[in-house]
Amino acid sequence: MDPKIQQSLLVNRREFFGKQALGIGTAALSSLLAKDGFAAASQNNRLPDLPHRKPKAKNVIYLFQNGAPTHVDLFDFKPKLVEMHGKPVPDSLFEGKRFSTMTGNPKGKVMLSPVEPFKQRGKSGSWVSDFLPHTASIADELCFIKSMHTEAVNHAPAISFFLSGAQIPGRPSLGAWLSYGLGSESENLPSFVVMTSISKGTTCGQIFYDFYWGSGFLPSKHQGVKFSSGADPVLYLSNPDGIGKNLRRAQLDDISKLNEIKLKEFADPEIATRIAQYEMAYRMQTSVPELTDFSKESEKTLAMYGPQVREPGTFAYNCLMARRLVERGTRFVQVMHAGWDQHRSITTELYNQCRDTDQPSAALVRDLKQRGLLDDTIVIWGGEFGRTPFIQGDLGNRPQWGRDHHPYAFTIWIAGGGFKSGISHGASDELAMNVATDGVHVHDFQATLLRQLGIDHTKLTFKFQGRHFRLTDVFGKVVSGILD
Amino acid sequence: MTSSTCLIFTCLLLGADASPINFSRDILPILSDNCYSCHGPDEKARKAKLRLDTREGAFAKSKSPGLHIIKPGDASKSELIQRLITTDEKELMPPPSSARKLDKNQIELLKAWIGQGAGWGKHWAFETPIKPTVPISSGDMRISNPIDSFILEKLGAEGLRQSPRASRETLARRLYLDLTGLPPNLEQVDSFINDTSPNAYAKLVDVLLASPHFGERMVWDWLEASRYADSNGYQGDNERTMWPWRDWAAAAFNDNLSFKDFTTWQLAGDLLPKASFEQRLATGFNRNHMINGEGGRIAAENRIDYVMDMSETMGTIWLGLTFNCCRCHDHKYDPLSQKDYYQLFSFFNNTPVDGAGRSAQTPPVMEFANPEQLQKKKQLDSLVGKLQSQVGELENKLFPRDKGKSASDSESAKGYSKEVRDILSKAAGSRGKAQLQQLAKAVEKSKPELLQILNALIKSIDERDNFAKSLPLVMVMEELPKPRETFILNIGNYEKPMAKVGVAVPAVLPQIQKDTPLNRLDLAQWLVTPENPLTSRVIVNRFWQQLFGTGIVKTSEDFGVQGERPSHPGLLDWLAVEFQESGWDVKHLVRLIVLSETYQQSSKLVPASAEKDSANRFLSRGPRYRRPAWMIRDQALASSGLLIPQIGGPPTRPYQPPGIWEEATFGNKKYVQDQGENLYKRSVYTFWRRIIGPTMFFDTPARQYCNVKNSRTNTPLHALATLNDTTYVEASRMLAQRELLAAPGNDPVVMENIFRAILSRKPSPEEVAILSAAVNRYQDAFEKDVDAANKFIAVGKMPASKEIAGKKLAAFGTLALSIFNLDEALNKE
Repeated sequence: MDPKIQQSLLVNRREFFGKQALGIGTAALSSLLAKDGFAAASQNNRLPDLPHRKPKAKNVIYLFQNGAPTHVDLFDFKPKLVEMHGKPVPDSLFEGKRFSTMTGNPKGKVMLSPVEPFKQRGKSGSWVSDFLPHTASIADELCFIKSMHTEAVNHAPAISFFLSGAQIPGRPSLGAWLSYGLGSESENLPSFVVMTSISKGTTCGQIFYDFYWGSGFLPSKHQGVKFSSGADPVLYLSNPDGIGKNLRRAQLDDISKLNEIKLKEFADPEIATRIAQYEMAYRMQTSVPELTDFSKESEKTLAMYGPQVREPGTFAYNCLMARRLVERGTRFVQVMHAGWDQHRSITTELYNQCRDTDQPSAALVRDLKQRGLLDDTIVIWGGEFGRTPFIQGDLGNRPQWGRDHHPYAFTIWIAGGGFKSGISHGASDELAMNVATDGVHVHDFQATLLRQLGIDHTKLTFKFQGRHFRLTDVFGKVVSGILD
Repeated sequence: MTSSTCLIFTCLLLGADASPINFSRDILPILSDNCYSCHGPDEKARKAKLRLDTREGAFAKSKSPGLHIIKPGDASKSELIQRLITTDEKELMPPPSSARKLDKNQIELLKAWIGQGAGWGKHWAFETPIKPTVPISSGDMRISNPIDSFILEKLGAEGLRQSPRASRETLARRLYLDLTGLPPNLEQVDSFINDTSPNAYAKLVDVLLASPHFGERMVWDWLEASRYADSNGYQGDNERTMWPWRDWAAAAFNDNLSFKDFTTWQLAGDLLPKASFEQRLATGFNRNHMINGEGGRIAAENRIDYVMDMSETMGTIWLGLTFNCCRCHDHKYDPLSQKDYYQLFSFFNNTPVDGAGRSAQTPPVMEFANPEQLQKKKQLDSLVGKLQSQVGELENKLFPRDKGKSASDSESAKGYSKEVRDILSKAAGSRGKAQLQQLAKAVEKSKPELLQILNALIKSIDERDNFAKSLPLVMVMEELPKPRETFILNIGNYEKPMAKVGVAVPAVLPQIQKDTPLNRLDLAQWLVTPENPLTSRVIVNRFWQQLFGTGIVKTSEDFGVQGERPSHPGLLDWLAVEFQESGWDVKHLVRLIVLSETYQQSSKLVPASAEKDSANRFLSRGPRYRRPAWMIRDQALASSGLLIPQIGGPPTRPYQPPGIWEEATFGNKKYVQDQGENLYKRSVYTFWRRIIGPTMFFDTPARQYCNVKNSRTNTPLHALATLNDTTYVEASRMLAQRELLAAPGNDPVVMENIFRAILSRKPSPEEVAILSAAVNRYQDAFEKDVDAANKFIAVGKMPASKEIAGKKLAAFGTLALSIFNLDEALNKE
């Protein structure tokens, strides 16, 4: 059965719609619900001029790899770099460029060859290193962008740039823009959900700031709802000790009856909205536990995501949750995974990092595909920048090899949602230092993503402080070469 | 009445057709919205060298012979109009590709304006406010002060009527919550209801303005504007100790410090002659910005970020202008250039802060101690000194030597190691703790009397240092002896300085008249001069917003050309000048507003009001909107009697679901919940971690940047918080317990008292019926499940009374929880 239907059956409809006797008809109620991001009717709460064009995709799962995975060791194979191992960085490649203070000036640093071998994978022959065997096995589903570049050299500004279009915190995030523009498809769940995790045994994780899923100047109902790995995936979801389901239902009925009196007396429409939102809260109390209950998932599916899938707070668990959320109508799922900041752990912790993320990422793409969900779901895998092709640390001390932040060229991949599969777009130069062809700027990536969702990135704007703001600032070009 | 206000009023009365068109109100917004992004103040973005934001530019000759861009008095000779109506797509303005388009009425309005002579003027907010004559109202409406006259005038023009006054109960609750953030208790409601004197309401206003809780309430909005928090933000998110500044600001509201001083002390108290402790403490305001301690972060970049934040925060709070646009380019709409931005930036560019490091106590800092603490500090210092001299004296005896020689030269010192003799060679008062410990070890056996006193000295040093560490250090402002040079930064990039600029306020505003170089104090004082057209308007507008939910200028963060025009321009100017004339007296302003009949109206929606004034911008009824989350929490604590009303002090850590900080910081920050009184202090004292704010508050800004306008949303997540958070459950059962103990065996009275404690009024018979049925149902449920009852009454740390049966307590507690969740309990009404 369609999980959306299944879930709505869980909430006793007579309880819910029995409110008619109290003066709020079902129609009125559903239009109220439509107002607030937790809408009943999917078409009602999107902006009137949207979509600007026929959408190719409905949902997005963004597997954001915090800390910046090393493109040099995972995706961007350069024979010349192998050849140049241990030789100094050519001056011409870094002059006039800015690096983090940990590198300062790259002069005198030496090139570091990728630590694991690369192979061409699948029919497409895309390069993926042995670090990521599972990703390698789905290479034909993926669209690699090997010419990404960004403007920031430090984590928080760079992540903020990817997720909100601006380095300084405080602009609406991607998911908030989509919630604002396209509304919600779900009756019972938020339209924008965020989950976070970190690899086991990682010593250097980048903190998840809540502005990564903030609503900025958009109404705060559009901000991402952060699911936690604790007892309550949604804050304050569980009833207090001693209040069972029936008693809570009774309480809500009483609250409603009293609010109805107020509504009659004051005629303030906000009271009607409040009544509806209390009902929504009740529905979430039922729908979220159903969402997090994996007992109906087949063993085969669970096994596909790997051994950590049953453990809340792991990347594997969050990947399966992402699929379940999308199935139930959540539009934007932001799965963030920290620990990719290998300043001195390319030969050590990078293995853990890949172990914890590789299998679940590939499983998610496969799982969506086998359920027919990949066509209208975009999966994105990538970090905020790449890592230097030259070494951070001492060449003689292999266990401490590292790479510093590198914004000038790096790789991300995208699957589904009308993106071409089995291709590699753009290229970095022969040492993976700078973009050589078909550079894709962060704003271009954002513009392209919005287009697949039926949005012209120049037209989705919000007026704040006298200016019409948009996700892509005043930049961004759709990268048509990666679209079907 | 000035001629311009005359015009506005005439216009309102006669309608737009017959009256002269007002440039600032009618024309400027059209030009700004549609033309200025290409033909406005931003020189780099300007197309065809045409600018329409100045009279010279707009009235210039056109390239087409015989035409002007605008020819006053003759629309047919004005190219502007031709370009708006042409059918040639290449000529049409705005260009079809821009997605901007003027409608027919706007074009007619422009034509009419040109026909009337194309009167030009400044944007209204840049003209110095002049106190308008108070309109004379006729009819039987209630008028308490000029506020009502202005409001009634507009209501009349819109065919609306004033709403009746709200009930006494409603007024009591409205006023208590608005002025103190706490609800009245039953005695307070009763005493107001029973006070039949004609000035009962005014007396209550004065009582509340004098309450020490007034400052706690007023400071909340100020803390949000000042981006106050208890941690740095960013990686590491180190804890800071800026709370003495927070307490100073609250006290300033209580002491009714003139807003003039409130301004100068915070922006530049350190530069006042013989600056007092408080005046320096106040400058902590500027240092409330985030500190970025991320590894690899470039110090110079940080420093520029901090200075930008200080400048922009000042710009938003006092001037209501959106300076941040000008980091990178001239403003697109307002006459503010990138140069203006960096000239303003230079006022804040001279602190010793260099941007390096992640210390949450980056100097300049000042130690904060109360009188007792200062006394204790002195005592500890003098004890250390005393013991040091005792050590010296004893060493003189134990290590005899010639005058002028040190103890290490003594024969008695021979047996010790070189290291120990080095220590002995130093005066007793100049040895560090580690050296003292080493010495103590060396003399342990040989000189027990010295050992004893050395140990005492080490202990006293420990005590002194630990005490010093317990004193908060507040980051404050200081000026470098030699000011830094300031440059325009290309697209705001710290690495790309361009032209050097001086120190100045924006060119469009009245300038500071002074020959010597300008500093922060000059800026602060300039903000509160009568010539400054913005500050007084911006500030009174925010106090208005605090009491009515929406400002007279709705865009309280933007008074520029793109901001919304005031709903009542005359009222705004009247209040602004009145505020100045009163000596920037905040309590006077607040008193005026709450004493107005406008404020005292009922918030019930009547059909006419609903239809013509749905958003209540004309104020045809009293304000009704959801209270901020912090106030809802404080209300629960106060109504239940749990509140510990202690003013000020270090931040508290009340109930929060486990693991929130830990998950956000990978376990680096552990939330250790407080015990005892700190669980029940007011929300304003709750520890504010910047990277993950307190979860019990919803719709609050993150306190990362200046915020002067909150969003107010209505989502299921809020319902979950007030239904399920421990704070509310514990408050509910404690309220039930208090009332059950007060009226044992009298359930109807208990029920009514719980209701009244939360809503300040008695339930209607209809409500009583629902409440009785409810409590019976809850009792039945707990009757069947005593275990559940016992669990419920154990939520939170306060022990449940043994005198009441668990199921009864649980049932009435559940009832209180339902009432705390009523729309009326959550709302200002």
